[in-house]
Amino acid sequence: MSHPEDLLADYVGGTLDERERAAVDAHLPGCARCSAEVRQAEAARAALSELEDVPVPFGVTGPVLAEAGRRFERRPGVAWGRFQWAAGLAAAAAVVAVVALNVGGEDAQNAAAPERTTAVAGGTGAAGGAEAAAPGVTFGGLERQTDVNYDEAGIQAVASEAAGAIVEAGDARGSQAAFATSAEDSKERTSLAKECVDRSGVRGPNDVLIRLIEAQFEGTAAFIGVFSEGPGAGQAPDHVVVFVVAKDDCRILSTASQRIPSG
Amino acid sequence: MPDPPARDEDLVRRYLSGDRAAFAALVERHERRVYNLALRMTGREEDARDATQDAFLTVLRKLSSFRGEAAFTTWLHRVTVNACYDLLRKRQRAPLLERGEDDLPALEPPPAPDHADASSLSMDVQQALLQVPEDFRAVMILHDVHDLRQEEVAAIVGVPIGTVKSRLHRGRIALARAMGIEQQGRFSEDPEGPPSSGGSPGAAPGASRSGERADAAGPSEGTVSP
Repeated sequence: MSHPEDLLADYVGGTLDERERAAVDAHLPGCARCSAEVRQAEAARAALSELEDVPVPFGVTGPVLAEAGRRFERRPGVAWGRFQWAAGLAAAAAVVAVVALNVGGEDAQNAAAPERTTAVAGGTGAAGGAEAAAPGVTFGGLERQTDVNYDEAGIQAVASEAAGAIVEAGDARGSQAAFATSAEDSKERTSLAKECVDRSGVRGPNDVLIRLIEAQFEGTAAFIGVFSEGPGAGQAPDHVVVFVVAKDDCRILSTASQRIPSG
Repeated sequence: MPDPPARDEDLVRRYLSGDRAAFAALVERHERRVYNLALRMTGREEDARDATQDAFLTVLRKLSSFRGEAAFTTWLHRVTVNACYDLLRKRQRAPLLERGEDDLPALEPPPAPDHADASSLSMDVQQALLQVPEDFRAVMILHDVHDLRQEEVAAIVGVPIGTVKSRLHRGRIALARAMGIEQQGRFSEDPEGPPSSGGSPGAAPGASRSGERADAAGPSEGTVSP
């Protein structure tokens, strides 16, 4: 009999039928190689059976559940509010002053882009830093990509690209960069898009808009807002967050985030 | 909950139809299994955490396209194993980028397990396990530690059942050798001997992952990533 290679796993596991087991039993005494393999495999199997489950450390699945909550909120017909987002996205959930969107670059290109100032309540002074903390990437106006259909991976790619641009701009100190803006851009559309992203309630207090795209997301007409997000208090942003909202009712469709690699 | 436990597939449906708690129930039900699989695959608590999160986030992303062709647990295991592969691959690359060439040891030792509550015996087994090539390790952990049937392991890993049997046997021998259990045998004459236990994952005969790897994406993906 040639070496019964294909039977040895089940022989060691004790799952061979009687006939096969008898065949292996007959082979082993005359075959040093197979005997040695069986002894080793049995020892290994015994060792593996000694491995015991360990409890899951606290908090491992917390971020997953938080993300599930965020995704859940985007479902049509589900009431949701800013609080949940704030709790999920910003550790400090206090509603602090939200300064105007970072429209420096936009002013240059689109003279009359309206500055929007949203709620100021219980401010800590940290909010003033948002503007100062703005990276060298400035908002360049609404980008029309209505024929592009993004999916989750595409949204994540947008987040990664923005994080990369922020790092690059940081490397070339003092330079200002902006994502390309379309000639079809109009300030009415831009402000509509901004308002929609804002109305969705997803913006955190230290989020600075750096990019706004009109496109589709999984077949639904959408606005995609790209924000840099930082700890506030004048500190540099540490994340890019991307929010996708439906164009028709501004409900949240998806989100992605990307850590900005530090210096 | 007074109700009898719902099937995984029912929980998926409930989540998709608006029951927020259903996903949390799925996570709670499976997190221990996912985490321990990841811990055995990676050998480090920190990596097991990351792989667990990656796996569940993938599940969350793809849940809406989960059509139930495979059992949910099969899919979850597949996603977890692939998350571990991805993480191990990242870990292998990272040290090379972060260190100078001079610091590189001739042979990369396996990362030390850092979970504190394991017995020294299981620490030794875990150390040895990390020296077994990943494809063999995965099959052994799924079958010999998690007690999954060979058919299910085959479905998870995406290989024929004969390959599962072969990896199981070769993997066990490699593990025994990594634990220092050398039996007198004629391995040197065997061109298709057990996979190398020298710590070079993927170097085993017949372990060509690129061709055999289970599809990380799970259910079909529809739209285009621009």
